[in-house]
Amino acid sequence: MKQTVQMDRIQEKMAPGVITLEGFLGTDRRKLIDILLEDDEAVKRLNLSHSQLAQRMVELRDAGMRGLGEFIDVAPHFEVRVDSVRGKLPCPFGDPGIFPKTNVTVRNLRADREIVFTDLHIHMIGSHGFYEGKGSKFRLEPAELAAILEVEPE
Amino acid sequence: MLTTFLITVGAMAALGTALAVLMVIADLTVGNYGEVKITINDSKELVVPGGGPLLSTLMAEKLFIPSACGGRGSCGFCKVKITSDVGDYLATELPWITEEEKKENIRLSCQVKAKKDLSIWIPEELFNVKEYRTRVERIRDLTHDIKELTLKLIDPPEISFRPGQYIQFQTPEYELSSESVYRAYSCSSNPSQRDMVELEVRLVPNGICTTYVFQYMKEGDEVTINGPYGEFFLRDTQRDIVFIAGGSGMAPIKSILLNMVEKGIDRKATYFFGAVSRRDLFLVEEMRELEKKLPNFRYVPALSGPKPEDKWDGETGLITEVLDRHLSSGDNVEAYLCGSPGMIDASIKVLSSKGIPQELIYYDKFA
Repeated sequence: MKQTVQMDRIQEKMAPGVITLEGFLGTDRRKLIDILLEDDEAVKRLNLSHSQLAQRMVELRDAGMRGLGEFIDVAPHFEVRVDSVRGKLPCPFGDPGIFPKTNVTVRNLRADREIVFTDLHIHMIGSHGFYEGKGSKFRLEPAELAAILEVEPE
Repeated sequence: MLTTFLITVGAMAALGTALAVLMVIADLTVGNYGEVKITINDSKELVVPGGGPLLSTLMAEKLFIPSACGGRGSCGFCKVKITSDVGDYLATELPWITEEEKKENIRLSCQVKAKKDLSIWIPEELFNVKEYRTRVERIRDLTHDIKELTLKLIDPPEISFRPGQYIQFQTPEYELSSESVYRAYSCSSNPSQRDMVELEVRLVPNGICTTYVFQYMKEGDEVTINGPYGEFFLRDTQRDIVFIAGGSGMAPIKSILLNMVEKGIDRKATYFFGAVSRRDLFLVEEMRELEKKLPNFRYVPALSGPKPEDKWDGETGLITEVLDRHLSSGDNVEAYLCGSPGMIDASIKVLSSKGIPQELIYYDKFA
């Protein structure tokens, strides 16, 4: 699929130093459309949807909020901490609103694995199917995300 | 055929050269704004080179506006009121500006350019903000994910701040960051120790600054800070005080308490500090020492998930639950909170339910 001019502009906003110091693309040199398509395929192979993953992230974040900034047990075998640092970020896709720099750390105690995501991740995955480019410090691999958060096909 | 080709190539080269020359001339004329005058609070005037972003232009004049993103328009901190015409809001400003702020002509100083004379208004206390070269005198582990930094001032050699205020720490370029960035940290030291500041830094996953502090910075390194900033400080009243904090939110409260000891402020004060388990508690001995020096001060640490090996016989539960149990009435009480937005929002609900009016609840939200 060919990348539109509008998507070119979005990709420019994802470059290092525009919205964040590191940008959203890491070392990925592909067109944004190709990044999105490949991750979309990966999620489909898991028999999941982006909105299902985002919904699970929201559930765990909301459950973790009860810890008031510290780790709290979340059934059946998770520990979740919702912590914030000063600042907010806009969505590189140009959606209205700004997103607090909230870090949600989820520990899956049964799998002994941990993953960290932000409010902006939840939005970008749920609304755009965007998990950041390969090599980005903040990239979330769809399969890893699904496994750690235990998102099952409906 | 060859002649036509060569003529075409020559013409293209000449056109390219002409365009490049035109761009250089345009840059030197149209893009040269000369000197512009910035009037601040109708009382101070700066004559500066025109054309640059207002934030960096003021910074070059040693006037520091709080900014956490280094001028990329991604933190929304560097707001100033501009009382002269600087044109319409830019798309990059709009996400950060409320309708109320639009009416007040509040702008992001990193996005507005000083292309002509400007008149701006900034809080008076920003005139006291300076940049300081410092040396890292000590790095101490407070918990598994919080470090205490002691920064000895080099130039200027002394700082003046109110207990509770924060500074901005400049993370230099390093292996994981191609440019320097600023992050805000509350001072935890007593302001009377004017030749140093102490900070408490909690590790943030993938954080540029905290990764630098935890993995790269060494004692003896030079780092730059600027400050002080902030409106979080103890009000001069006779009300009872409730302090609430968690994690590195300890920092400003500790500074306030040290200052209370020194000033002999012995108002009734209770400090609720929330942590998960014993390994997340720190400075407990220091707080117990402060209890001895301030007879009306009580420190109430609480663990939300103590482990059996902690052998904890103190308060348990979320800090809001402990607060709810201990605070019977909000009469004649004011509160000071520092920590995550979730903790602060939940604590405000409890404090309000006890009858403490919103205007007597002061907080420093990490948001």
